[in-house]
Amino acid sequence: MESVIELKGVKKSFKGFYIDKIDLEVKKGFITGFVGANGAGKSSTIKMMMNLLKPDHGEVKVFGLDYKTHEKEIKERIGFVYDGNVFYEGLNLKDIKRIVAPAYKSWDDDIFYYYINRFDLPVNKAMKKFSKGMQMKASLAIALSHHAELIIMDEPTAGLDPIFRREFLDLLQELMVDNNLTIFFSSHITTDLDRIADYIAFIQDGDLVFNQSTEEVAENYAIVKGELDLLDRDTEKAFVEVRRASTGFEALTDNLKLVEDTFGDAVVIEHATLEDIMYYLKGRIQHV
Amino acid sequence: MFNLIRRDAILQKKFLLTLIIPFALFFIITDSHPALIVLVISIFIPFNAFYYDEKAETNILLNSLPYTRKEIIASRYLGTVVYMLLVVGLTCLLLVAFNKPFTLADIAFGSGLFLIYAALTFPIFYIFKPGNLTIVVIVIFLVFAVSGQIIIQNIDRLLPTVSDFIINTSNTVLYMGGAAIVITTYILSWIASTIIYQRKSL
Repeated sequence: MESVIELKGVKKSFKGFYIDKIDLEVKKGFITGFVGANGAGKSSTIKMMMNLLKPDHGEVKVFGLDYKTHEKEIKERIGFVYDGNVFYEGLNLKDIKRIVAPAYKSWDDDIFYYYINRFDLPVNKAMKKFSKGMQMKASLAIALSHHAELIIMDEPTAGLDPIFRREFLDLLQELMVDNNLTIFFSSHITTDLDRIADYIAFIQDGDLVFNQSTEEVAENYAIVKGELDLLDRDTEKAFVEVRRASTGFEALTDNLKLVEDTFGDAVVIEHATLEDIMYYLKGRIQHV
Repeated sequence: MFNLIRRDAILQKKFLLTLIIPFALFFIITDSHPALIVLVISIFIPFNAFYYDEKAETNILLNSLPYTRKEIIASRYLGTVVYMLLVVGLTCLLLVAFNKPFTLADIAFGSGLFLIYAALTFPIFYIFKPGNLTIVVIVIFLVFAVSGQIIIQNIDRLLPTVSDFIINTSNTVLYMGGAAIVITTYILSWIASTIIYQRKSL
């Protein structure tokens, strides 16, 4: 399967934090959700994908091209939506369009006005008077108006109300009908990703824990509950993290098959949501 | 690249009409030296642009669009010259309209000082994180402009060797030398900003 974004052995250190040798491939034609707690390294990774940050080691390729030699070609084909408003807040949408549109060879005014109407956005009102939701819609309208093949979004749903979040996710799904598009978006709101992502890339403390299809995640990860006497040094190997209570244990496994072979019917197995996975993996790091 | 230069005009159209023209008129009516008028008026557009860029996350926006960092810097340096020429043209028109005498040397001197000042301060904006740099730079500018005027008016007393040198050197050599210094400083500053900006984390 073709990859649109490839990170190979990417390392980047900051004050008191570092991204450790990330290898990540984002598959063409799918929605990949990039999940992790606040401060896990999501924004920094996205900045490296956009060439806003340069990795200390390793390489970043987008559409199989290198930023060193093909920066403009790459960015021509990317639409971006960021968490904060990156547009001049004193300007209205019409002026912002006058600044952004000429940057793209394939800018399409019809598409832009289609989304402006659809999202009910005023074109003569200053951006600073927009609500958070409207700002996001405006960024999205701009990101969609130049026939981008890849949409990169950093926390697009943060700070949005639940209804609009839902609408936004529906819109993304609608966009995916158009075969060629790839969407990569980060979120710490895991239910958003449960709902629409085809692939989940999970990052924690600068480490990429996994990058799997949602089916693979469901096949491999599960919450297991049982009696404490089932646990010993050998059986615990089936788990990523175990939590004990007087009434029994609850654990996260990343190897469901092994759990089934080891415990059979002696344990209760439940579907692990992304939130469960995040929660248990967080615990594992705190213990070490 | 032209789009990036045009960006400043879109951003600052209101500002231009409401501030620059009244400012120019004020200076002209109060009989300021033409070189000083040119210097002060030229400062507005580029530094106001930096001021806007500091408030918004413009560096992230521009670098996410299909522009290279080299182009972003080049547009700032070329744009500054383009807007300076426009504003200087405007100032000359106003001076003529108000019947105030001025020489080409005054205009060249003001423009040269402005370019030197721009060359010395632009890299600062690319070295430091955005914050309140614009205000700092404008304050430094005011000190620079006022002290510059005092020094020039009293140059005979303060720096006799310099004034002797200026008097004893032919005008052509003086102008050519001045122009060479200004252009060299500006180009070196451009190169420095490009190198700094290309290494910068956004």
